[in-house]
Amino acid sequence: MKMEKNFIVSTSPHLHSGDDVATAMKDVIIALMPVTLVACYFFKFNVPFLIMVCVLTAMFTEVLFCKLMHKKPQLSDCSAILTGLLVALSFSAATPWWLAAAATFIAIGFAKEFLGGLGWNRFNPALFGRVSVIIFAPWLTYLNNEFFYWRVSFPGIDTITQATPLTMLQMGLPLPNMGTFFFATQGGGIAESSAFALLLGGAYLLYKKHITWHIPVSMMATVFIGMALLGQHPVYHLLSGGLLLGAFFMATDWVTSPITKKGQIIFGVCIGIIVVIFRVLLAPTEGVAFAILIMNAFVPLIDRLTKRSKFGEQKTQAMLQSNISTETEVAVKN
Amino acid sequence: MAKTFERGISSIPGYKELTENMSIQDLPLPSELIIPLRQHIGAPNRRLVSVGERVKAGQIIGDSDAAISAPVHTGLSGVVREIGSRMTQTGQMEDCVVIEVDPEQEKVKYTADDVSHLTKEEIVQRIKAAGIVGMGGAGFPTHIKITPQTKIEYLVLNGCECEPYLTCDHRLMLEYADEMIAGARILSRVLDNAKVIFGIEVNKQDAIDLLKEKLKNEERMEVVPLDVKYPQGAEKQLIYATTGRSVPPGKLPAEVAVVVQNVATAKAVADAVIYRKPLTERIVTLTGDAAVQPGNYRVFVGTTLAHLINSTGGLKPDVGKIIMGGPMTGWAQKSLEAPIVKACGGVIALTREQLAAAQEYYACVRCGKCVDHCPMALYPNYIGMYAELGKYKQAQEWGALDCFECGICAYVCPSRRPLIEFIRRSKRA
Ligand code: SF4
Ligand code: SF4
Repeated sequence: MKMEKNFIVSTSPHLHSGDDVATAMKDVIIALMPVTLVACYFFKFNVPFLIMVCVLTAMFTEVLFCKLMHKKPQLSDCSAILTGLLVALSFSAATPWWLAAAATFIAIGFAKEFLGGLGWNRFNPALFGRVSVIIFAPWLTYLNNEFFYWRVSFPGIDTITQATPLTMLQMGLPLPNMGTFFFATQGGGIAESSAFALLLGGAYLLYKKHITWHIPVSMMATVFIGMALLGQHPVYHLLSGGLLLGAFFMATDWVTSPITKKGQIIFGVCIGIIVVIFRVLLAPTEGVAFAILIMNAFVPLIDRLTKRSKFGEQKTQAMLQSNISTETEVAVKN
Repeated sequence: MAKTFERGISSIPGYKELTENMSIQDLPLPSELIIPLRQHIGAPNRRLVSVGERVKAGQIIGDSDAAISAPVHTGLSGVVREIGSRMTQTGQMEDCVVIEVDPEQEKVKYTADDVSHLTKEEIVQRIKAAGIVGMGGAGFPTHIKITPQTKIEYLVLNGCECEPYLTCDHRLMLEYADEMIAGARILSRVLDNAKVIFGIEVNKQDAIDLLKEKLKNEERMEVVPLDVKYPQGAEKQLIYATTGRSVPPGKLPAEVAVVVQNVATAKAVADAVIYRKPLTERIVTLTGDAAVQPGNYRVFVGTTLAHLINSTGGLKPDVGKIIMGGPMTGWAQKSLEAPIVKACGGVIALTREQLAAAQEYYACVRCGKCVDHCPMALYPNYIGMYAELGKYKQAQEWGALDCFECGICAYVCPSRRPLIEFIRRSKRA
């Protein structure tokens, strides 16, 4: 019979939404483009150079570790590229390239591949890499000495203000005017160049439904309210110190955030609280990175604590309770 | 405002335009019928005919004494050529009666009875004798479903047809509205005058309008328009949408005083009770981009896929997959041997291009989409993760046993994880 060709046999469902991980990752990369462009304007060629270093390191590390661990590298899902980009953006444009490369190596090699690969990693790789080089800074002076003659620097770097807005705030220095601050400002990390550009990217991710409002809003609202209560300037705190980058691009990372909306709100609020404590009591910078990483560790717990009831389950309990209460009523009457 | 249930997914394309305006047509007579002896959930039937025997149209050919069972009949006259194990739509082998169909069929006359004097027991008896089972896909014997131990307040008629592509129920509501309403009335009588609700998705506005018009003087019958959302027609979701009641996990609808019946089943009930006509045919939507003549066809139970497809122009060369049932819950076919059964409403031929090229799947990236959309509020991500690790106990703790395999989780998963496969494994463990 001519009809009997080889039909494809697979289990239901036979349709698929067409969503895939690579598209989502690419959209996050697109969402980071506005802020990258603003930074390029300020710091010239230093920004693309640092990004190139990090992205290449990310891809190389991914392939290396996958080979070592006998897995198939998944460069096509673009997650390594995204991690490289995020690491680069979290540094200042004056950062020596070997430091950024070391952070990326740790991010991909340890925080991602060694801990199981995309999906199994508990900590946001980019933040993990970024924070590692802060913690290991004393040992990294070795790197600095070793690579000093290999440093690369392009014109544009001298314009970098020494103090980030948050430090200025802390030290009581005069702050840049709010408008400039919102649209474009130099200082701090590359991704701190423009709050507006970050919000634009965040809006794009929300529009594309890759993230929902729950984490960014709960996190930012907590910082805003907390700082206002403590008598600090809430808007400056909101727009600086990597809070926006953290709220829209890091804390919302699928793999390392809670699975339900309720859990995500708890997650966001807790991050906000830690950021406030960190900024008020400890250092003015890097609070966001630490806060997110700390809460990453609690994600399994949050998932368990916020476990929702199955469809129809709640109602049964309510019904049981109402039965019980009527029974007690009867008992009382008797 | 149309009503609906919580979660689920409204972004699956419907593909209904292929067949929704095509009236029901008859197929040319098949040369053989392969009738599975069991087409219901429950005990298998024993055969009542033997090889070489002549059978008349409408004759009973298999039955069982077990409580949960439904007899099967042949819709066409002929000679029993073989009784043996054959491939069915699920891919499982079942005992089937193979009938060589007479090329000349004598028309069987069914005349209407006055049913007003029938007792409840007599009605149930006629439904049972006609071999009626849920025609929406489940195949549960109807006479059992309509005789629960508890009082029933609502009879919900399921006209959602929420699976993409299928239009057989839509056409039935338009072309057999009176029969369907008569069937609903009979069913309501058995259920001590339970209030009747027709739940219909708003993508079938013509059916909603028609039924509203016909029911405008009926006090105890109502049409409830529902949002176009999958799986609107799943029993628990439909009950929630139409009555606001939640059936607890592991319980039947009778728990909340509701019984659900598919609209095609209601029509079959009318045939069975008023005309004493057994269930031997149904409407099947043949559709998909790889079908040459998509349409809604009246098909005798036991007609093979090959006959249905070949007598309607065949398949296009780029066919990739043949599905029996709906595209979200149906079964992909290896060949065209399987026969149409009472509960099969659709045959869908998809092109190769439509099939997701990616056969590979990846680790869960915890995007949360499956959790957001699961109509049962389960955790398909954790079920899949634990099942993959062989930890079926944990998979069950995250809800595997309450999953009714609607397919949404696998549909939305960007890592293309075979979640339904994982869930089935966890259930079996
Ligand atoms: S877990 Fe079951 S009920 Fe939930 S979406 Fe997946 S298939 Fe549907
Ligand atoms: S949809 Fe897939 S990737 Fe997303 S959480 Fe569910 S199982 Fe994981």
